[in-house]
Amino acid sequence: MSRSLPRAERGVQVRALKKSFGSHAVLQGIDLDVAPGEVVGLIGPNGAGKTTLMSCLLAFLHPNAGEITIDGLPNDDLRVRRRTGFVPERMNFDRRATGYSFLRYMAGLARVGNRETKVRAMLERLGIAGAADRRLSQYSRGMLQRIGMCQALIHDPDFLFLDEPTSGLDPNGVLLVRDLIAEQKQRGAAVLLNSHQLAEVGKVCDRVFFLNRGVIGREETLRHADRIVIAITMLPGFDANAIARIAGNAPKENVVIATVETEADIAQMVREVIATGAGVIDVRKHTADLEGIFRGVA
Amino acid sequence: MNGVVVAETVRRCVTSIAYWAFVALLAIISLGLARFDRPGTAWPSLVSLLAYIIGCTAIGPEFSSGTLQLILTKPVNRSVYLVSRVAGVVSAIWIAALIAFSFELLGRVLWVGAVRLDIIGAILINTFVDTLLICALLVFFASFTRAYFNIVIYMVLMIGLGVAQGMVSMFRSMSGTLGAWLATHDIVDRILASINSNLFPDAPPRLDWHWLLMIASNAAIAIVAACFIFRRREVPYGAD
Ligand SMILES: Nc1ncnc2c1ncn2[C@@H]1O[C@H](COP(=O)(O)OP(=O)(O)O)[C@@H](O)[C@H]1O
Ligand SMILES: [Mg+2]
Repeated sequence: MSRSLPRAERGVQVRALKKSFGSHAVLQGIDLDVAPGEVVGLIGPNGAGKTTLMSCLLAFLHPNAGEITIDGLPNDDLRVRRRTGFVPERMNFDRRATGYSFLRYMAGLARVGNRETKVRAMLERLGIAGAADRRLSQYSRGMLQRIGMCQALIHDPDFLFLDEPTSGLDPNGVLLVRDLIAEQKQRGAAVLLNSHQLAEVGKVCDRVFFLNRGVIGREETLRHADRIVIAITMLPGFDANAIARIAGNAPKENVVIATVETEADIAQMVREVIATGAGVIDVRKHTADLEGIFRGVA
Repeated sequence: MNGVVVAETVRRCVTSIAYWAFVALLAIISLGLARFDRPGTAWPSLVSLLAYIIGCTAIGPEFSSGTLQLILTKPVNRSVYLVSRVAGVVSAIWIAALIAFSFELLGRVLWVGAVRLDIIGAILINTFVDTLLICALLVFFASFTRAYFNIVIYMVLMIGLGVAQGMVSMFRSMSGTLGAWLATHDIVDRILASINSNLFPDAPPRLDWHWLLMIASNAAIAIVAACFIFRRREVPYGAD
């Protein structure tokens, strides 16, 4: 049984990954690590290359350059496969199969022991036990997404790849998927999550990467996502060097952006800026939520 | 070979109404035509038709629909998967062939009273090997195309070979340098005929171990080649 297998020790490592389709360079040098027990989100606009990156990680596509290792093994190694779960962007399978028989087949391929019980339990957990004996052709998009989660989790994978796992789900489904991801993280799985919906990702990820124009634009550690970004606008004629020292950023035009932890820090920073003789005319603050970070990149 | 894949492939065939409708048709035809002198009158070609219909679904459609991606993330070697798919598909076809064969036997007992088991048995074995080759070729063509292009290639090749053979003999009978050259060099004919008898053979009327071996090894070569291509092949998302 998969339970007795060793847990991930080194997780997913991607180095200088490049992938082109003809002359269209989709990925242009990606470095990425997902540690065991970590949830990493990959966000970016449609067509950014999120699915392409995931397809390279799962060895569906051959990269043009770069290296992918999973627990130190090549990503197409069957020992890695045995511990990998994948939820595709859109679930596709023989539409005549029932949910139950589909899952049984997947569990068989994954060599899950005690198949019937496991399959029933997964269907129950994902809230589609009632539809177990219906054909997949009668499943809604959200139900297909749920059964996609079932087949990915049925063998307790150590590496979990989710391509837009919440698209097509109702709010309850989104919450459920979030819970499941949190559970996998607790178990020590390395989770990589693709999304173009920002709201869903921020809540579950430890780190988020922004994929845009083939490169990872920025990495934000979400533990600090609640820090405060302030923009201080000044009259012309301020001492740029002194302001840069205080804010940690050089002013652009007549605005300086700074990041602080607390509201007391804001007051302190404004006092220091005024002390340099600058004429402060405006102070704006906002939390560095994903939406804001994303807009800054895209 | 992966038992789970073979079983699932067979299950998918034998749980379809269309499959059983076809098998019922086979049974009726075998039973009915058993009245006539010539054994194996129609069912072997109908089983070949079934082999085209089922054989072309082994890889191509899964490739296009993205189903293959689900399977390839599971711990299954790609070559093992492909061979298991062929095995499953061929099993479903052989089950149909066995049923047709049984009904012909039944018919002969009922209408004729005498059964030439050696001849009908040879027809069954020839059909087994022939359908194996059909599936092997379809899987080979599917290993580098998508969707149902494998059956298109198969048909175009089969018809094209026939046309080419006809054209060669037509040109030969004409005057002119090409006709003269073809009349003295039968190499073109022999190459075409050899390709034809290797890929799209006509089964001999009785057991011919030489022929069986040739067809079985051609099928094996096609499957091995398919594995080689399929192993390195990219499986992009939503290929269609
Ligand atoms: N198999 C393919 N052949 C050619 N181009 C592709 C293929 N797959 C994806 N692309 C292109 O690569 C880019 C990235 O696609 P994708 O990875 O699906 O983006 P995302 O998942 O971020 O929306 C798109 O411009 C898409 O058209
Ligand atoms: Mg995508």
